[in-house]
Amino acid sequence: MEVAPAANEPLIMALPKGRILGEALPLLARAGLVPEPAFADEDARQLRFATNIAHLTLIRVRSFDVATFVAFGAAQLGIAGNDVLMEFNYAELYAPLDLGIGRCRLAVAEPEAMVKDDDPSRWSHVRVATKYPEITRRHFAARGVQAECVKLNGALELAPSLGLCGRIVDLVSSGATLRANGLVEVERIAEVSSRLVVNRTALKTRPAEIAGWIERLRAAVDGA
Amino acid sequence: MTDLERLALLPAGLRDVLPPDAAHEAAVVERLIGHLARRGYDRVKTPLIEFEDGLLSGAGAAVTHDTFRLMDPISQRMMGLRADITPQIARVALTRLAGAARPLRLSYAGEVLRVKGSQLRPERALPQVGAELVGAEGPSADAEIVVMAAEALRDAGIAGLTIDVTLPTFVPALCAGLGLGPEERVPLRRALDLKDSAAVAAAGGPAAAILAGLIRATGPAERTLAALGALALPSEAVVERERLAAVVARIRAAAPWLGLTIDPVENRGFEYHTGVAFAIFAAGVRGELGSGGRYIASFGAGGGEPATGVTLYVDTIFALLPAPAAPRRVYVPDGTGADQAAALRGAGWVTVAGLGPVADSRAEARRLGCSHTLIDGAPAPVAPNSRGRAHG
Repeated sequence: MEVAPAANEPLIMALPKGRILGEALPLLARAGLVPEPAFADEDARQLRFATNIAHLTLIRVRSFDVATFVAFGAAQLGIAGNDVLMEFNYAELYAPLDLGIGRCRLAVAEPEAMVKDDDPSRWSHVRVATKYPEITRRHFAARGVQAECVKLNGALELAPSLGLCGRIVDLVSSGATLRANGLVEVERIAEVSSRLVVNRTALKTRPAEIAGWIERLRAAVDGA
Repeated sequence: MTDLERLALLPAGLRDVLPPDAAHEAAVVERLIGHLARRGYDRVKTPLIEFEDGLLSGAGAAVTHDTFRLMDPISQRMMGLRADITPQIARVALTRLAGAARPLRLSYAGEVLRVKGSQLRPERALPQVGAELVGAEGPSADAEIVVMAAEALRDAGIAGLTIDVTLPTFVPALCAGLGLGPEERVPLRRALDLKDSAAVAAAGGPAAAILAGLIRATGPAERTLAALGALALPSEAVVERERLAAVVARIRAAAPWLGLTIDPVENRGFEYHTGVAFAIFAAGVRGELGSGGRYIASFGAGGGEPATGVTLYVDTIFALLPAPAAPRRVYVPDGTGADQAAALRGAGWVTVAGLGPVADSRAEARRLGCSHTLIDGAPAPVAPNSRGRAHG
């Protein structure tokens, strides 16, 4: 599929560092987008990377920041998990395509010892450590439970055993990390996968070009 | 932080506009409202604050959560600071101007105040210019507002304008036609807001295939209309599609230079609209320059009138326009005749009067940011101050 060239206007795509990157690159390659070799080097200090497409630049940022860069129009395209989209709920973002990568789930977990006399239907107030305070509050509020959130940026599994909180809300893929820390998944909040995100203004002002990229990536996903 | 600095700090989202920006902004407002006035939209002025129940009735309900409130100590009733001027214009049209000939064309300029800013627009006080066309239905009225707004912006000097035409009534009509209940529409609405095709497929039920088609059809107007035409729609939605096509055709004919896209699933920010609506974008500009569309102008319990209108976001627009050339400023030393200064002003100079004798009028002119000083009855240029004038 041909993408209409913009009048020399640069196009920026934000990709998340870490886990998802390894799955995203083959997908992008199938869509005809190949970054310069330095992109694959996790230790590179460089933050912007050229691609085989002259006006398209990749930036590599933290997964939560992808949504922010795209929402504010600093990048026109990006790849972000729907966990991040649910947390920020940015009105300036569209997520037109499920890329089917980075699959995991967002779940509530608690220590094994707690599970046996715990009845989730009787919770009235919980203290939860999470990277996702908004989703957590919304999730518990919808059930009429007051959630007091402790925002952490990592090593959540430590929090219950050290008495920081009773429960955690975190991404779970295999469950191995939970098990290794004596935690059990008790509730599933959402299935997570990575989405192609698009800045709203970019889609309105460069419709043919942006739609072209959505279609290219759709074809790459369908062909997988 | 010193006490002075602390006192100078304004609440979040509020700011002072300094020279020369304040004058520039006022000039942009006059230019935009002048364009509306030349098309027969008569200017009205409504108060900054009024009773809450009136302010938030009808279309005003959409800004209930954005409105500052305070108690009127005189009437003991709750008042609201306007967060949107459109409901006030509706009130004026339906009450004091109820007897005026329809269609009624009104314009306004003023500030609105919001409890909190949005992500892209953290400001809480926003200058706006707008127009409302009350008591007119049909595609000609819808197109008049869109074309007028686009031309006003083009004449003000904005390039690369794009109008995104939306139809907030389309998805509800489609859902009704396919028998989707209100319960099923809530998750669907959220998925559509994000154009999340995976979630739409999951929540869409019988509408999933058509809605996925709609999301993919979003884009350049002609392509979208063709794609919409190819979809098998229930009759309720066909009526909406035809309304949209008629409006788009009229806009195209009147403003072939204008970029035109259609987004049949957009709803965010258009919750109170009852027909064709739109948002205005410009190439390379973050966020909207204005928005508007069809609604029911209503007030209190009485029935409403069909109306359409536009609001232009002056703060965004003004930031895109180059500042006008600074007028020539001449320092007029103390003791210069009043007619001489008046003659200079008549010739287009800005005169800055000296209030007492000074040793060096050139230095004084420089200090006060003047480009010239009056020497032997004629303006003589002074070397610019190395610091220049403070520009915001």
